[in-house]
Amino acid sequence: MTTKQKKGFEDSYVVEGKMALPYTYFAGSVGSKFITTVRDEKKIMGVRCPTCNLVYLPPRQVCDKDFTDIRDNWVDVGNSGTVTNFTVVRYDDKHMPRKAPFVLALIKMEGADTPFMHILEECKFEDVKIGMNVEAVFAKETTNTILDIDHFKPVAERASIQERNAGRKKWVADNENAVHGKQKGGKPDMSKPVIIAAALTGAATMRNQNPSVPYTPAEFATEAYKCWKAGAAMVHVHAREDNGMPTHDHERIRATYNAIKDKCPELIVNLSSAVGMGKTAEQRISQIIAVKPDMASLNTNTMNFSIVDRKTGKIFIEYVFENTFTMLQEFGKAMEENGVKPEIECYDMGGLDNTLLIAKQGFFSEPMNFNFVWGVAGGQAFRSDAFIAMMNAIPANANFTTCGVGTDQFPCIMQSCILGGHMRVGLEDNIKMPNGALAKGSYEQVEVAVNIADSLGRAVATTDEARAIMGLRKK
Amino acid sequence: MDRAAIIGVGMTKIEKSKVRETFADMAWEAVNKALADAGMSIDDIDNVVTTSSDFWDGRTISCMAVGDASGAADKNTSCVEGDGTYGAFYGYTRALSGSYKTTLVTGHSKGSQCISSLITNASFDPICERGLGMDMITACAMQANAYMNRTGLRPEDMAMVSVKNHGNALKNPMAQLPMNITVSDVIKSEMIADPLHKLDCSPVSDGCCAVIIAHESVATKFKQKPVWIRGLSLCTDSFFFGDRDLARSNALVEAAKNAYKMAGIKDPKKEIDIVELYDAFTYQELLWLEEMGLADYGKAAKLLEAGEFNINGPLPVNPSGGLLSGHPVIAAGLYRIAEVVMQLRGDAGEHQVKKAKTGIAHGVNGLCGQSHCVWILDKER
Ligand SMILES: [Zn+2]
Repeated sequence: MTTKQKKGFEDSYVVEGKMALPYTYFAGSVGSKFITTVRDEKKIMGVRCPTCNLVYLPPRQVCDKDFTDIRDNWVDVGNSGTVTNFTVVRYDDKHMPRKAPFVLALIKMEGADTPFMHILEECKFEDVKIGMNVEAVFAKETTNTILDIDHFKPVAERASIQERNAGRKKWVADNENAVHGKQKGGKPDMSKPVIIAAALTGAATMRNQNPSVPYTPAEFATEAYKCWKAGAAMVHVHAREDNGMPTHDHERIRATYNAIKDKCPELIVNLSSAVGMGKTAEQRISQIIAVKPDMASLNTNTMNFSIVDRKTGKIFIEYVFENTFTMLQEFGKAMEENGVKPEIECYDMGGLDNTLLIAKQGFFSEPMNFNFVWGVAGGQAFRSDAFIAMMNAIPANANFTTCGVGTDQFPCIMQSCILGGHMRVGLEDNIKMPNGALAKGSYEQVEVAVNIADSLGRAVATTDEARAIMGLRKK
Repeated sequence: MDRAAIIGVGMTKIEKSKVRETFADMAWEAVNKALADAGMSIDDIDNVVTTSSDFWDGRTISCMAVGDASGAADKNTSCVEGDGTYGAFYGYTRALSGSYKTTLVTGHSKGSQCISSLITNASFDPICERGLGMDMITACAMQANAYMNRTGLRPEDMAMVSVKNHGNALKNPMAQLPMNITVSDVIKSEMIADPLHKLDCSPVSDGCCAVIIAHESVATKFKQKPVWIRGLSLCTDSFFFGDRDLARSNALVEAAKNAYKMAGIKDPKKEIDIVELYDAFTYQELLWLEEMGLADYGKAAKLLEAGEFNINGPLPVNPSGGLLSGHPVIAAGLYRIAEVVMQLRGDAGEHQVKKAKTGIAHGVNGLCGQSHCVWILDKER
């Protein structure tokens, strides 16, 4: 310590001291794992609260919203995120990690719900914006601290679908030519934007097969939002209980539907009228009438719908999926009466013919929207010529999209896109990417569909365009 | 429920650097002023609550330095770490317990003796946050940014708070920074951390404040007219920054709601006559007013511009000049209570507001208003 006198205050000494006390901070198991994972695996991990489902970053022991022990529920939140807040620090001080000026930001990582703070570099101050996408740059040499992430930098990325779409002319229906592609001299018509749909779960895909399958309303909302960001105009939903079982409970389905609409109001939501195995006709249709989604699936024939080992042919689960003519008629009428557009699911030509037969009653509103489904054990496998036969069989002003189970997924959507039809992807149909790796979520398959559209020079439909094309009610 | 009242207040002038004074000097002055204000002697005080914080005090176990903090020994003493309103909250609950009749509450700080940014930096999580250099100013800069982004508030809107409060301080002899400035002076002042200019920030200050809380059974026994505590509540939000919606303050909404309920206030916009709140930064005055329900969300700046919060307006806010005109950390909230008490008694002198029956005093703990303490004081019982 030293003493000194301030000028003008000669009667009052000041004593220069310091409160510098050594202290050992224990990082605990959670802090240690967070830091060592950043250091050794270049991965940023958060923890998910099983009660409220929030993914916390920085990770911690307890969720202070509901007092749940969350320390072991680690999730990889990815290495990129968005800036939710920032400041430019204009002053130097002992505790600052950089010389001023530099940017401190709150960054919400892709897989996290709470933003965490870090340094933002490699961009001009005037370019820093709330909402900008950034990615982690890891330190070359470790210090075993949070600065093992050296800083974040902006992600150089192609214009998002929404931005690209804002820059092109909006598609409008041309009534004279409002017919699908096959009609134009045998040449495919790819002038219509292609609608990409993502089937987020189905009734049978479980988290042990792909951990990204959403179960709770909040998880559905997050997945749906990611799909929309990636280019999907519609999501197809089978609501689940917290334990993953498919549900016909109106409240749960409504909560799931509302969660998606709250997070992403413009996105089209298509609910399943199949729900899951063993549901009664009443359970299947009453929820559609109760929730009144934009669109709902309408299944067209009674068929085997089994789980079979694709390699050995061994049957695991035997199930008959009942869709009698009466059900086809009653479900179809109920949907139309409630302003819910049916998506007509055809698992083979027989189902398509059933629909055309019933359609003579005249209750289907135009245009009809067909989905050609391939690869169900009980339906037909994907074949190019069968696809063309189905396409040629639907009414001239009807739309078609397609989806395929497992490895049928990407070939069938590619063919549909070439022929002027639409595309459905998602974990309901396939848990993998084209290279066989597990998909990080349905949104990653949406990205593949966008690449297919890009390669063919087809615009990806906005939600407004998709509504106009399929004849849905306005949002 | 029993009632309690504030029967005496005392404050030192808030100054940039009280070089000649120790904590004990400041406490001696503030406590004696409060005792004189109440018409009491130290023997009439049956217990003491101090508020202090080890790092601001520059000593460990600062709660035991009662002589420095209050001038009192041989009494039942206790200490609260944090803002003075929280110490006073504890003093109030002691009064309600029935075991204590007269509680002396003090709060002191000398920002001039420490480096505040290092202390606030050390409040962050040591593993995940501290090394990044966050402190009170950078944290509040981010909050200002979040609030602007959400509501469309402009730097000029925030600057009006600085103009008003420094202007009010011209009439308050206790204020540190009386200034006649314009919006453009604020905008042209040095940028500290975007979007906060120097004149958007409160200064480093020294000061001490003391208030005396009495149980209703003795509230009228002494010379001073009691100011009644009608409603009082506090609420704390999550510690981690990213867990909170920085553009809002749920903790303040909750604290204010409960305080109004306790006071039986149905329409605070109509029933509150004066507010002294914790404007550590300009934007905070607007945000806190909105979250207390005294303006619609995102609309306080418009009301400020229209003169609603001026000293002669319908709802004077910080007629003392607020924290922007003097911010002795820890004591700042107690100053708010003391100011409201003076206003309700009609003793505020040159910065006295016209009509003052019911007032709000507000204190904050933690970064960016993590925790809020709301007091509803009334000149009538
Ligand atoms: Zn939780």
